[in-house]
Amino acid sequence: MSDQHSGTADGTDTSAATASGTEASDTDTASADAATAGAASQPLLRVEDLQKSYGDETVLRGISFDLDKRDVEVIIGPSGSGKSTMLRCVNRLTEFQGGAIYLDGESVMAMNDNDLRRRVGMVFQDINLFAHLTALQNVTLGLRKVRGMGKEAAREKAMDQLDRVGLASQADSYPAELSGGQKQRVGIARALAMDPELLLFDEPTSALDPELVGEVLEVMRDLAEGGMTMLVVTHEMGFARRAASSLMFLDEGRIVERGPPEQLFDDPEHDRTAEFLQRLTTISEEV
Amino acid sequence: MSGERSTARTTLARAGEGLPTGRSVGLAIGALFWAWLVVRWVTIWAGYSEPFFPVAFFEGLATGFENDALVMQQNTGALAPVLDFVAGFWFLFSDVASFVAFAVEYLPTLAEGAWLTVVLTVAGIAFGLVIAVPLSVARVYGGVVTRSLALVYIELIRGTPLLAQLFVIYYGLNMSQYFRGVSSGLLPTTAVWVAIVGFTINSAAYQAEYIRSALESVESGQLTAARAIGLSRIDGIRHVVLPQGLRYAIPGWTNELVYLIKYSSLAAFITVVELFESGRDIAGQTFQYLNIYALLALFYLALVLSATLFMGWVEDRVAIPGLGVRDGRE
Repeated sequence: MSDQHSGTADGTDTSAATASGTEASDTDTASADAATAGAASQPLLRVEDLQKSYGDETVLRGISFDLDKRDVEVIIGPSGSGKSTMLRCVNRLTEFQGGAIYLDGESVMAMNDNDLRRRVGMVFQDINLFAHLTALQNVTLGLRKVRGMGKEAAREKAMDQLDRVGLASQADSYPAELSGGQKQRVGIARALAMDPELLLFDEPTSALDPELVGEVLEVMRDLAEGGMTMLVVTHEMGFARRAASSLMFLDEGRIVERGPPEQLFDDPEHDRTAEFLQRLTTISEEV
Repeated sequence: MSGERSTARTTLARAGEGLPTGRSVGLAIGALFWAWLVVRWVTIWAGYSEPFFPVAFFEGLATGFENDALVMQQNTGALAPVLDFVAGFWFLFSDVASFVAFAVEYLPTLAEGAWLTVVLTVAGIAFGLVIAVPLSVARVYGGVVTRSLALVYIELIRGTPLLAQLFVIYYGLNMSQYFRGVSSGLLPTTAVWVAIVGFTINSAAYQAEYIRSALESVESGQLTAARAIGLSRIDGIRHVVLPQGLRYAIPGWTNELVYLIKYSSLAAFITVVELFESGRDIAGQTFQYLNIYALLALFYLALVLSATLFMGWVEDRVAIPGLGVRDGRE
């Protein structure tokens, strides 16, 4: 509680930090653009000055960042900092009021919702497997009804995805018959089956028993190594250190600091980042 | 004291163990009832309406018991108190036999009426369901306009008496005129068609409410997840929310089915000779009110219990591990 207060106490410092952070990323992309000399190479995901509020409550106050293909961005931040909301803006599960989001150069606002979501997969904290369908049917539903695949082809592809997350043997189990970790792996297979260009993970392990977290993180690490572009909200610092290409600390709807994980862990620019990471590690050690 | 109680409890528990047998007895009775009913319908359509069992036999039995009892009562010897006591039972047997004779005689007529009761109920509930599903979806997921329209329909229908609704469409709107073309030969009379329309309109509103509450108990994350893989809202509702919601709705929906079996008797008031009306006709001819209404009650009970058993079977049949009430009760 007191940490929270000290966090807000140096509010001026924060806004300055955000400004400089934004500038930094802007210059980064500028130089990247210059390097490729106007070639078609652009970030897979570009978020520009994203603003979002629920009624009077402002949740996102101008978020800007780029994410290249094959990058894994881990987002951390206290609850209520806007992490999940930001993810939901990317695939437009929630509408935003200001700024823009581009997927491969195309504004998501100009895209059809369903097309966008076909290209951007999502894995949820509360998993949300379709409760009336088996693991296999959870994966085939999108293939059949969204991509219009035939029954056999969908089945085959779905089995491949289940195999990828190590659950081919559980294909005919219903969600209630699976452990939390297995459910979340099916959730990942369901998202993968649509061949997304970008995968969003919204605290995928937060609802799981501690002993089940590992199997899910393992699948996610495999994906990261396989070159999947991922935007991951998680507080699993081990995963962030090993798999993330970049780490982003979000607080009160702003990016406080963003950089390679080693930098944020070992030499953060801002006290609040250090403080928050310190707390996270202490908690996970206590657990 | 506590010993006694625990004995009582064991006895009760033993009785509980016997329940599956009770269930199979119930199923056997149900099977017999329906076998008889179906055969009865077929023979009636084939032009044979005579009872399957001899009425005279049961009437003879009734007279025999009664005569014997009267003779016993006239005995004044030493055995008089005993005979008097036995005579009481003989009178009872006589009454039962004459009820059976009555039942055997009029069951063919009731079976004919029961056919229409079944037709009205099945058609009303089925057509009602077809309307109720979109109605409940509109109520839960619709925009302001569709939601309001659904709400007005549901509340208007639920807020007015079914009998009044039947009168409005039968007498007020004279809906029979639209069904002249489909009421010849073996097809039901125009009044039956009007009753089906009435029950459909009415039942849709009630069913929509049962389904609405079931839909609301489907977690909102389910639709979000469906949207997240690129399903449109309506497809998400169709492939994810409804399959779950309709399963949740089965117990409540069964309730509506049971109501409708009995409410279908209101069709009698727009000249449909269904089960209740055929019973009333018999009462008018025989003045045996107690017998006929007892028989009617048994008939309705058999129909209702059949419906309940059937829906229980359906519920088991479509049950999915971890979904719905059945699993939670274990």
